Amino acid sequence: MRKGLIIAVGLCWLILVVSVTADTEQKLLGDESDGSRAVPVHLIKLFIKLIDGESQQISGDDEPLLPFSTRQTCGPCHNYNKISSGWHFNAGDAKVAPGRAGQPWIFVDADTGTQVPLSYRDWPGTFKPKQFGITDWQFVKLFGRQMPGGGVGELEGLEKGEEIMRGFVSGKLETNCLSCHNADPAYNQSEYADQIERENFRWAVTAACGFASVDGLAKKMSDTYDYLMPEPSNPDVPTVVYCENTFDHKSKVFFDIVRKVPSRRCYFCHSNKIIDEAGTERWTTDEDVHLAAGLSCVDCHRHGLDHNIVRGYEDQGDAGGTCDSCHFTCESCHAKGRLGAPVPEHKGIPPVHFDRLSCTTCHSGPLPGKKNSRVKTARAHALGTLSAVKADDALPHIETVVFAKAEDGKIGPHNLIWPAFWASMEGQVVTPIDMEIVKQTAGKILAVERTRSTGWQKFDAEQIKKVLTSLSSVKSINGSPVYIAGGKFYSLDKKGQVTSAEHNAAEPYLWPIAHDVRPTTQSLGAGECQDCHSTKAPFFFGQVAVDGPVNAEKNADEYKKMLEFQQLPPFYTWAFAASFVFRPWMKIIAGGSCAIIAAVLLLYALKALGFITKILVNKD
Amino acid sequence: MFRIVTIIGFVITIAGIVCHYIALSVGKGRRWRPIDILRKLVFLLTLLFLEQKLSAIGIFRKLVYLLALLCFVVLAVTGFFPTLILGEHLSGYLLMVHATFAPVFAGCVAVLSVMWAHNCRFTKNNLQQEALTKTTDSATGSEKCKIGQKISFWLIVSLTVPLILSIVASMFPLFGTDIQKLLLNLHRYSALLLAIAAIVHTYLIILTQTRK
Repeated sequence: MRKGLIIAVGLCWLILVVSVTADTEQKLLGDESDGSRAVPVHLIKLFIKLIDGESQQISGDDEPLLPFSTRQTCGPCHNYNKISSGWHFNAGDAKVAPGRAGQPWIFVDADTGTQVPLSYRDWPGTFKPKQFGITDWQFVKLFGRQMPGGGVGELEGLEKGEEIMRGFVSGKLETNCLSCHNADPAYNQSEYADQIERENFRWAVTAACGFASVDGLAKKMSDTYDYLMPEPSNPDVPTVVYCENTFDHKSKVFFDIVRKVPSRRCYFCHSNKIIDEAGTERWTTDEDVHLAAGLSCVDCHRHGLDHNIVRGYEDQGDAGGTCDSCHFTCESCHAKGRLGAPVPEHKGIPPVHFDRLSCTTCHSGPLPGKKNSRVKTARAHALGTLSAVKADDALPHIETVVFAKAEDGKIGPHNLIWPAFWASMEGQVVTPIDMEIVKQTAGKILAVERTRSTGWQKFDAEQIKKVLTSLSSVKSINGSPVYIAGGKFYSLDKKGQVTSAEHNAAEPYLWPIAHDVRPTTQSLGAGECQDCHSTKAPFFFGQVAVDGPVNAEKNADEYKKMLEFQQLPPFYTWAFAASFVFRPWMKIIAGGSCAIIAAVLLLYALKALGFITKILVNKD
Repeated sequence: MFRIVTIIGFVITIAGIVCHYIALSVGKGRRWRPIDILRKLVFLLTLLFLEQKLSAIGIFRKLVYLLALLCFVVLAVTGFFPTLILGEHLSGYLLMVHATFAPVFAGCVAVLSVMWAHNCRFTKNNLQQEALTKTTDSATGSEKCKIGQKISFWLIVSLTVPLILSIVASMFPLFGTDIQKLLLNLHRYSALLLAIAAIVHTYLIILTQTRK
């Protein structure tokens, strides 16, 4: 009897839990497609979340006018939390599988000779922002310009009291649905970047949306500033003005929201500019062949409600994406000619190439030259924003194109940066030193002789020695201070002199590139085998610059050969490439021999036929 | 698949040769003393020498044959070793050695096919069983080539054509990936058959020379 009661209570509890869970997972209006391919019109009300957690509607005649919140405005119809767990937002979530190494955020401080790849994801070779003393708050301020909000931008992990206070002033950088889905040409992501600079996180989306403008700077407001309390006398107070006719008679606002994100939205964060000796200008370069053919980025880089966007590499399905991602690789479209995609014949190319090279090796990125070029990327160089430095030598220095062996064992085109940072070493473990300490110590020493420049101001062994000596006296640093730059590891020996050596921590960080895709006729190897298999071919023997702020030592490698990144033995690679000189001879000898043998076979086959004929005739 | 087929092919061939030789030895009541084996090995070594009685053409023919034999051994080792032992495709230095010896082998086979074809043609006698037994120990003219040798010779020559053509054709931008794979398989299986034919042919030659 008691047992039955316990079971009944247990069942009731279970039903209750399941029903509550089911309730939280209930699909909202925009979470599930009804199958219509038409684009829903987004004539909606604007909302903001008040401090007490209540959602308040915004009207054109409010006083003061407040910025709208995407969580409150888009959230009623779309599962904000689920969307915010997508690939563009979830870097800070340790539970999410890191997937294939990608483009990092690059922290640069020219004064201290620092250039480091940062990522919240566990990509080997990158550093966590925290390792350099960069808090979430600082990270958002540094890179929020080209982040679509959400994730780290929600400022949930702030630990320092002062930053928590600043977080109240600036507000959160919520997931910015508009940065991708707003097709309105007036939407201004550059303005969004400017608002991040001003610490106007709460106002950034409103300022960028195209129907409102924002003035003022939250960064100039005191820690006790309350955005709901207007301070008319203070010109720095962030204020919003909505354009006339923004609100209709029902206080609704029209958003030109599209399901299919226009490529120009992607370009704001995913553009590249090649810096080569020829001084190639943007207008002379071609777009990705897929876009030129009329496709858009999201035709391949698709996603469902969870916004786990298809990255396009072959085994993404195992790395946190959906199984559906397997259907949007190069092969999935081009192997069977999906939607008329050209099916490659690869005439004359031995199949072993497809085991050892990725599709992108021959078809993507810039063609390799004798020496590598540099590339400026939107996210590393703030391209498209007002603060973008247009000088060619602007930091960070990203080398491209580097054909290197990727995680999947295939050679593919990569971008590369050489990390440069001050660190401490205990045993063989290298730990970056907090940037604040570095700035206070190294900054003063190294900035003495610096002139204003966009690139590296080179410094020498004597300056490194001064900084290392100075850092050794800092009590909070455990171990001996070292400097890592240009693929080298600098430390003080027992006599107090600077010595350099190779070290794992000085190895470059590489990430694969997949665009712009070139068509067959412009692919690597389209000309002949010698495009890659010759002793001068850039594919194996191209020079990759070893870049850093330290003046090159005597006998130091200023360049490394491409084959080093492919983990190939130099002599073998050279000998194999050289053997292609004899390839035509080999074809002639083998072909000629074959012709002679065939002739002999034919001759004796005819003789045999004649013999048989003779026998048959005699029998008659 | 190719690996298994190759292993089976070689095992059957070598086992066949060993069985044939044992059966032959037992039939003739040969003894297996160490001195006899050593003598046999020394004799086999002498087969590699150039006999004084050979004419200039004979010397050339033998040199070409020996070179072809050397190339065959190198090509077989470099070609089958990675597949059978390492379980991977031919690549690296082995590929370079393979590609270096391949045209030499092709040239040698071409020369040998011209020089040996007449002696290795099938004659009326070959077709008549009685004549075959009569000529078994004969040492003149075309009768030098025994029927087994002749068959294996023509097999070698015939298989060389797809062997060479398949790999040369794949070097020209004529065929797509699927046909490239087909050509590669054609090359591999032709090579396997040719290797078996060459082993049998060499064994038969040694047997004939030993009998003499």
